[in-house]
Amino acid sequence: MTENKKNIMDIEYGIDSRYKSNKERESEATALMEARLSRMKNLSKDQITKAKLLQLKLKMEEYIKNPVYDNQNYFSDFLKLYIDSIYSKRSAFANDIDVAPVSLSQVINNHRKPKEEFIMKLMIHSEKIYKNVCEFHKKTWYQVYFHEKICDTMSNQEQWRPEIEKHVRISEVI
Amino acid sequence: MKIIDASTGEKHLVDILPVEIDDFKTLKKDRYFFDWKIEKNQEVYKLQIKGSSDILGLVSIERIPQEWRIHIRLLTVSKENKKNEKKYDKIAGNLIAFVAKIAIREFGELACVSLRPKSQIAQHYIDTYNMNMTGMTLSIEVPEIIDLINLYDND
Repeated sequence: MTENKKNIMDIEYGIDSRYKSNKERESEATALMEARLSRMKNLSKDQITKAKLLQLKLKMEEYIKNPVYDNQNYFSDFLKLYIDSIYSKRSAFANDIDVAPVSLSQVINNHRKPKEEFIMKLMIHSEKIYKNVCEFHKKTWYQVYFHEKICDTMSNQEQWRPEIEKHVRISEVI
Repeated sequence: MKIIDASTGEKHLVDILPVEIDDFKTLKKDRYFFDWKIEKNQEVYKLQIKGSSDILGLVSIERIPQEWRIHIRLLTVSKENKKNEKKYDKIAGNLIAFVAKIAIREFGELACVSLRPKSQIAQHYIDTYNMNMTGMTLSIEVPEIIDLINLYDND
């Protein structure tokens, strides 16, 4: 069997792409970057929006899988990314989901928690938007919201627990 | 993400997880073609059918954030899954799509996955995964990278 035929048969067994030297890595990186920048110039607005929306979905899925116990506001940060990926003005999104711009602004800036109706509208809006981008589970926004709530509650026990605990008693001992 | 039983056409959901330190003891060259122990300090992932601990494929990657790129260092399927008599199909594709998802999640519209197969088989990767060729390097970026993810990320 010729070497070429053997390689073709072994197509899917594997690839060894490790660079043999820094010189090799640098020269290939430079050429690749030039070619990529030239291709990037031809990307349409629609292709960029789809990439941003897929990135957001993957970030949300990662957060749901590995929730982070810190003080970042994940729901509102993801919401900002979502709106800014699609709309040039946030008020246009508010209009599309029949919410007052000031209410949307309060949710985005963490001055108010989103009402359930808001999350429902967001769920429906995302379903329609993601239809032409990638698979998007209906429950994603809810999962992000409640994961953040659980993480906040658990990590802030020192703040709320002393007061709340005063109002909890056990009258039936097991 | 799913692989396909080549003889029955049955689809199996897979997990792609980080390789743990104990896994390296089982990654012998006669089944996984490369010396994977050398990759211990790299980011290495294993592909398994959900609920099974048998490793069917492996990929080692390098994140290059300054270039918005992830470079595939090593990629392999297990011995019984190579050539025409392979037991499962789509193992390599799932591993490349998994790396593509990390690249998009990290770098968005600038994301890129690169690799350097032997020149004799480069055309296979260009045809199968819609990759671009620059010198010896194959790469996939937006918009093709989105199509690849959507093709494999269908559970």
